[in-house]
Amino acid sequence: MRLSRRTAGAGAALATTASLALVLSGCAGDAGGGDSDEPITLTITTFGTFGYDDLYKQYEDEHPNITIEATNIDTGGNARTDAFTKIAAGSGLSDIVAIEEGWLGAIMEVSDQFEDLRDYGIEDRKGDWVDWKYAQATDPDGRVIGYGTDIGPEGICYNGAAFAAGGLPTDRAEVASLLEGDWAHFFEVGQQYHDATGKAWFDHSGFVWNAMVNQLDEGYYTKSGEVNVEDNAELKARFDLLAGAVAGGQSAAQAAWDWNGGKSFVDGTFATFVCPGWMLGVVQGNVEAGGGDASTGWDFADVFPGGAANWGGAFLSVPTTSEHKEAAAALASWLTEPDQQVAQFTAAGTFPSTIAAQEKLAADATPNAFFQGAPAGAILAERAQGVVAQFKGPDDSLIQENVFGPPLQALDRGETDAAGAWQQAIDLLHELVG
Amino acid sequence: MSSTTLTRRQRLSRLDVKASPYLYVAPFFVLFGLVGLFPLVYTFVVSLREWDLLKGPGEWVGLTNFANVLTDRFFWNSIGNTISIFFLSAVPQLIVALLLAAVLDQHLKAKTFWRMSVLLPYVVTPVAVTLIFTSIFNEADGLANNLLNLIGIADVQWKHDTLASHIAIATMVNWRWTGYNALILLAAMQAVPRDLYESAALDGAGAARRFFSVTIPSIRPTLIFVVITATIGGLQIFAEPRLFDVSNAGGIGGADRQFQTTVLYLWEMAFFRRDFGEAAAIAWLLFLLIVAFGLINFAISRRIATGEQRVESRRVRRALARKAGAR
Repeated sequence: MRLSRRTAGAGAALATTASLALVLSGCAGDAGGGDSDEPITLTITTFGTFGYDDLYKQYEDEHPNITIEATNIDTGGNARTDAFTKIAAGSGLSDIVAIEEGWLGAIMEVSDQFEDLRDYGIEDRKGDWVDWKYAQATDPDGRVIGYGTDIGPEGICYNGAAFAAGGLPTDRAEVASLLEGDWAHFFEVGQQYHDATGKAWFDHSGFVWNAMVNQLDEGYYTKSGEVNVEDNAELKARFDLLAGAVAGGQSAAQAAWDWNGGKSFVDGTFATFVCPGWMLGVVQGNVEAGGGDASTGWDFADVFPGGAANWGGAFLSVPTTSEHKEAAAALASWLTEPDQQVAQFTAAGTFPSTIAAQEKLAADATPNAFFQGAPAGAILAERAQGVVAQFKGPDDSLIQENVFGPPLQALDRGETDAAGAWQQAIDLLHELVG
Repeated sequence: MSSTTLTRRQRLSRLDVKASPYLYVAPFFVLFGLVGLFPLVYTFVVSLREWDLLKGPGEWVGLTNFANVLTDRFFWNSIGNTISIFFLSAVPQLIVALLLAAVLDQHLKAKTFWRMSVLLPYVVTPVAVTLIFTSIFNEADGLANNLLNLIGIADVQWKHDTLASHIAIATMVNWRWTGYNALILLAAMQAVPRDLYESAALDGAGAARRFFSVTIPSIRPTLIFVVITATIGGLQIFAEPRLFDVSNAGGIGGADRQFQTTVLYLWEMAFFRRDFGEAAAIAWLLFLLIVAFGLINFAISRRIATGEQRVESRRVRRALARKAGAR
């Protein structure tokens, strides 16, 4: 009761302020075109490691009338729940909401809940981004609902010490040429490694599968938005390939996001790891949590099986419920400009989606001390070449997590074979989707 | 009816006597109506419709959502898990809480210290408790498996084996609630008249006898309260299974849904599968289940306590009869 009264009061206060502002701007005529000095507070919700803190300060210094109230949610998955709940409730969203590529498909179903950023001049900046990033944020009606922040081009993280033990080259360039090829080749090398050392090649099947699917022209959905899993021969072929590698002992059957408290990264349990840009920080964090450091030997190679692949990346959107749409769009646009994206990469390792920022990182080639001095920015810029946007349907993350997650874990544990696991996935698909 | 003879003041005072008590209790019922009854009814309304979390309400579908849920094997799996975890937590929890309360009821030194100590786990948020226990029950290098290895038991698959995962989650629940229940029971025990114990002791009753024949019957109402709240809480377990397995983001509670409780299943349905209608149906079915369990427990706990008294009086009667016969 008291809460609602207070909210009503705040609403009334806001209405007063707004009408006052209207009167004032009316007096001032058309000067400034909405660029008023009225003090406003903008709220923004991000997730994971976004690296925006310094940028907020900079923006506040440059715009004294603006105060930024930032919320950062620990993972993209929890940010998804947060955003979905607030959309369902019809209130509570921040002025700027970060949306992850994995659940963008579901958001697209209700894209009218977000402002069309063409009304705020995003078309003038269209050339800033790589084509597919801009296209991903465009809904079927042509409305653009997100400023692209980062993308997730994938390379291969590998452990030099483990490679040496398995009789494989350790130099980054040699590893890149060793692993150059398709997934079958990647698993062949993995089998050699396993036969030589008795140890696993990759940490668990889920991430590898994710990469294999993301890389395809069409994933779980066709371009026209139909679920296409059961009779998808390409998907099935890749699944069998992965299952074969697992049967050969190449999977360490690790619990993702746990990795035995990071220890598995340190004790040589597995030798390779699929690494989108933002994953580099995750690897480092886990190695450190497991008691390791740069000398543990993790390195980053400019290669990815089967060609270019993208995993993740985010967008900044302005919900229609925002009280300060104009100012919010201005801030979101500024945060995604090339200079700010470079700063974001430096702070959090998220790889930029604008071409100028990518070129800058490629030219700088700053060595990453943790990854044996690998020029991560330059490598990722190379890995971003040829990435294509895959259509993500509304249930993409559900299919990835709850349909394919369980059978892949059963495969890793050796509880089933390729045919059994595929059948389990199809059964789950029928039960959970549609 | 001689109301015409009453003054306005008298009528007011009469109204005061009649209406005021209702006004005094009204805030509770108004609040309950707002935050209890309204959501309950509204959830039922939602359960009768197609309702996408994001897109909002669709068609009215009658009881289709209930039919879908009742024929879903994952629903019954979650019910089985919930009941299993409930028994593994509630039963040991209440027994230990009862014993703990009995110990705290003795003349201990530094009473407040001991009493505060048992409450300490309750103060810690369930999320933090789960994080700590998740590390303890880590399958590869967790404390639990390391200790078991010391006594020659092989690693237990805490997050994969169904029963083991239920035990792990029940442990977290017990850790949090045992002390809390113990304190409530202790408060009831303190209210038991001491002379009852004294006369029982004079009659030669030992400590165990006094506990079962004096303490337990005397704290019966509190015991029922604790059993009912433990039932409600136990059937609504969510945070522990949600956070126990970080690898499965979709809220399925273990790769094969080994420890997906009904509330977790509800969460998956509402926020991962985005089917609000079916989620509302699950919520209602869970509500009915809790009511049923509550009633059963109420009946059982009444029987336990009164059963004890009945045995008692039967013994007394028999003893009297024997004495009478001897005479």
